[in-house]
Amino acid sequence: MATEKNKTKSNTKTSTTKSKVAKKAQNVAPHKLVMLVTVVPRSKAEFYLDLLQSYEVNLQMEVSAFGTARKSFGYLESALEKQALFSIIREDNVPKALATLEEKFESIRGGKGVAFTVPFTSIVGVATYQFLSNKV
Amino acid sequence: MNKHEVVFCIVNSGYAEAVMDSAREAGATGGTVLHASGTANPQAERFFGLSIEPSKDMVMILVDTTIKEKVLHNLYNDVGLQTAGQGIAFTLPVNDVVGLTPAPAKPKEEPKEKPAEESKQDE
Repeated sequence: MATEKNKTKSNTKTSTTKSKVAKKAQNVAPHKLVMLVTVVPRSKAEFYLDLLQSYEVNLQMEVSAFGTARKSFGYLESALEKQALFSIIREDNVPKALATLEEKFESIRGGKGVAFTVPFTSIVGVATYQFLSNKV
Repeated sequence: MNKHEVVFCIVNSGYAEAVMDSAREAGATGGTVLHASGTANPQAERFFGLSIEPSKDMVMILVDTTIKEKVLHNLYNDVGLQTAGQGIAFTLPVNDVVGLTPAPAKPKEEPKEKPAEESKQDE
């Protein structure tokens, strides 16, 4: 009898700890979002857009831009043509994405660029957040 | 603490070069120019007697936090609202950066030659 009682006690204990864990998981803050800004040569923009999409990025914007190296340095006009990519990405995906970008900047000929992240402070709308973070 | 910040400077079209000259003077290395258009309130324009050029250049400059103040100060003086560039500048925090080329090292100053009088005394 005593052992059965002990068993039921331990069962109730494990179920309560499980429910506590589940409750905690519900209370964990959602992942933050950041804006990843990537400035790359215009000819390579499509490649980098596709690359970033593989890191659960659902919204990207690309804007035509120009580098500011002085023309007297002998740069071709086309070398100054850049594309600025604005990607909204979940914070936990940033290290992987930046590591890949760094590797590509160094290995691709004529594909050198710069990338940095700017944190979001707020966002409105659950659906919007779910869309941008790629999480339901 | 973050090591870098990004400076955004929005000026009238054609003043991006002036922005970069001003920022370089403060130690910035390079930037990216985006073309944009402003959407000022037409009523406010009439009220304040201003004519606002809608075509803008937006210059994005990644800078070291230590020179941020100097860059902003230079921009305020050289292309601020009181100048023809009619610019505004602000900074945003940056968490991580990759691909930034370090600024070229400044050449070391050569030691100055001894003044003539001292060399005479030595003799």
